[in-house]
Amino acid sequence: MVKEKYPRTKRQVQGMRLEEGFYNKKEGNQKAEKDVQEREKRKNIALGPSIAVSKDFKLMTHIVAGYPSLKQSETLALAMADFGASLIEIQIPFSDPIADGQTIMRANALAQKNKITVEDCFKLLEKLKQRVKIPLLFMTYYNIPFTYGLERFCHKAKESGCYGLIIPDIPFDEEKQEHYLSICKRYKLHAIQIISLLTPENRLKKIAKIASGFIYCVSRTGTTGESKNVQKNLDKNLKIIKKIIKVPLALGFGISTKQQIEYLRQKAEILVIGSKILNIYNHAAKFEKMNEVNSFLSTLLS
Amino acid sequence: MKNYLLNKNGHFGIFGGRYLPEMLIPIMEELEETFYQSIKDKKFKKELNYLYKNYSGRPTPLYYCENLTRKLGGAKIFLKNEGLNHTGAHKINHCLGQALIAKKMGKKRLIAETGAGQHGLATASVAAKFGFSCTVYMGLKDYQRQKPNVFYMERLGAKVIPVTTGGQILRDAINEALRDLLANPKETHYLLGTVCGPHPYPVMNTYFQSIIGKEVKKQILKQTEKLPDYLIACVGGGSNAMGLFYEFLDNENIQLITVEAGGKGIKENERKALHAARFQTGKLGVVEGFKSYFLQNKDGQIKETHSISAGLDYSGVGPQIAYLKSINRIKTTYALDKEVLKAYKTLAEEEGIIAALESCHAIAETIKLAPKLPKEKIIVVNCSGRGDKDYFITSKYIKTKNLIKI
Repeated sequence: MVKEKYPRTKRQVQGMRLEEGFYNKKEGNQKAEKDVQEREKRKNIALGPSIAVSKDFKLMTHIVAGYPSLKQSETLALAMADFGASLIEIQIPFSDPIADGQTIMRANALAQKNKITVEDCFKLLEKLKQRVKIPLLFMTYYNIPFTYGLERFCHKAKESGCYGLIIPDIPFDEEKQEHYLSICKRYKLHAIQIISLLTPENRLKKIAKIASGFIYCVSRTGTTGESKNVQKNLDKNLKIIKKIIKVPLALGFGISTKQQIEYLRQKAEILVIGSKILNIYNHAAKFEKMNEVNSFLSTLLS
Repeated sequence: MKNYLLNKNGHFGIFGGRYLPEMLIPIMEELEETFYQSIKDKKFKKELNYLYKNYSGRPTPLYYCENLTRKLGGAKIFLKNEGLNHTGAHKINHCLGQALIAKKMGKKRLIAETGAGQHGLATASVAAKFGFSCTVYMGLKDYQRQKPNVFYMERLGAKVIPVTTGGQILRDAINEALRDLLANPKETHYLLGTVCGPHPYPVMNTYFQSIIGKEVKKQILKQTEKLPDYLIACVGGGSNAMGLFYEFLDNENIQLITVEAGGKGIKENERKALHAARFQTGKLGVVEGFKSYFLQNKDGQIKETHSISAGLDYSGVGPQIAYLKSINRIKTTYALDKEVLKAYKTLAEEEGIIAALESCHAIAETIKLAPKLPKEKIIVVNCSGRGDKDYFITSKYIKTKNLIKI
């Protein structure tokens, strides 16, 4: 099922055509065209030419290293890349994942039971990096790099081929104390900032200044998990955010259906699917797990 | 008191801070602002003092333990009986304070974590009094071992949610409460129950608890015309210890002693500790929004802990306590479960006071220390709560001959 060929599948070639079509439609409509240019610009700032532009949005997916096993999390990541994910977050399991919902929290606990170490996670990323070309990020909580030694962690992450770090519990307010942003910069890792639709403008402005790579915006308040309703005043809030934030925007937390993707695809450069894939995996019958994940991924991007 | 206060970034030395997801930062900023405004406001202080006196029954007595002193034959032992507060422990002090602040911020709902149930009980009480809706998170293990408090919280109208993740104790309850706050940031005030967590909780709860030390100072001067030589308190997160110590921090002749849960001894493996003595084997870490000592493995994974008392069964310790330890202002020690049970019995039999198992850690240290000291020395020990809630634990360990089975 899992193929690691590059360039990838038929679907993606179609995707590229689709995209041409998408731009062509906008012709004649100046405002829309300007929008498109703006979006293109933002995409290129951070993601660079290394990723083939295959869609009008990029998909970021999420795995927990060591869940359900180290080998299986690798298989999941490869499948994600194969079916068109443009970025993958690899979560280093932590005992106290305060910003995660039930599914990922349980995955963290199980990965820990599997005795997954930080070193295992570096090895996993390194291994994946040899087989896929897309950016791979580490997601974890601050105590992990802090305990490992922040410098040493960043150095090792960069060596493993990591693109950037997503760490929810290190706000810029602690920069003076921790030097997290400057150390990430030194090791050429993108320190991905996280905002919400409710982040006040004064903080958005500060975050815009330190933004690197892209900005991760949670599309509903709360922890990661699926939600059926996409927030009502999304458009209004996104408009304010986009006025201030100039790097690509990733919308996350709660996207679980094709319909949501259809609804959101014009609104941000990156869409994040996190716990949904793990849920599908968990709920599928024993030998159907990867099949179900693959078919979900393929319908998402078809 | 310049040496012991918080710096501009919300840190005590390297400890403390506000290591939270961005979504929670504005909430903490609002809380901080309201707190600092409130404590400058005479009306707020007046209302708080009124509640301390008429709702909680303050001042709590400072009681000279004559029998215990005679039995041990050393320093004079005074017991600050916080167990006589309304709801049975010192926790009501910061609950009243935070409830007033939540009211000021226009919040409609209180959430809290609880270990022993004392903080949950106090939160449920102030919620009932001030008309907040209330949800209390409690680890399943604590939920089972502190049943009386669960019952009372529910009677007070609170929803008690047993937390089934992790070690099913205090830390897991805090994590769940933080998740709740992330999901409901607008209407909810998280009434965190100790001097841990992100800024401003440590400084705010210390402020509300410092009434303990202030009263002790007045009471001991009145009773003995001297200041104490030793202050002893148990430490889970550290709220009753900071409450007792704060007033005396500047007076360096007074020795401050914290007692952690030694559990079944200072032994541990990669996932689990048989104790909760952070100052024995803990390492610096950043968890649950603050930097302090945590029991963790070499990768930074937080370990499960053990203590006979749910209130001390916690893997981290308040940042100001960690700071005071780092500058050698406080001495840290621990008491084993079995020493705690012995102290529980001794205090009951000598003085007719049934103390909470948490507080019995401090009593155990007092019993160890007093005989080594000359008679003119004075120890003040904080009896942070009363022991009614511990029936299901203590009755398991202490044989009661004449208890008729119904």
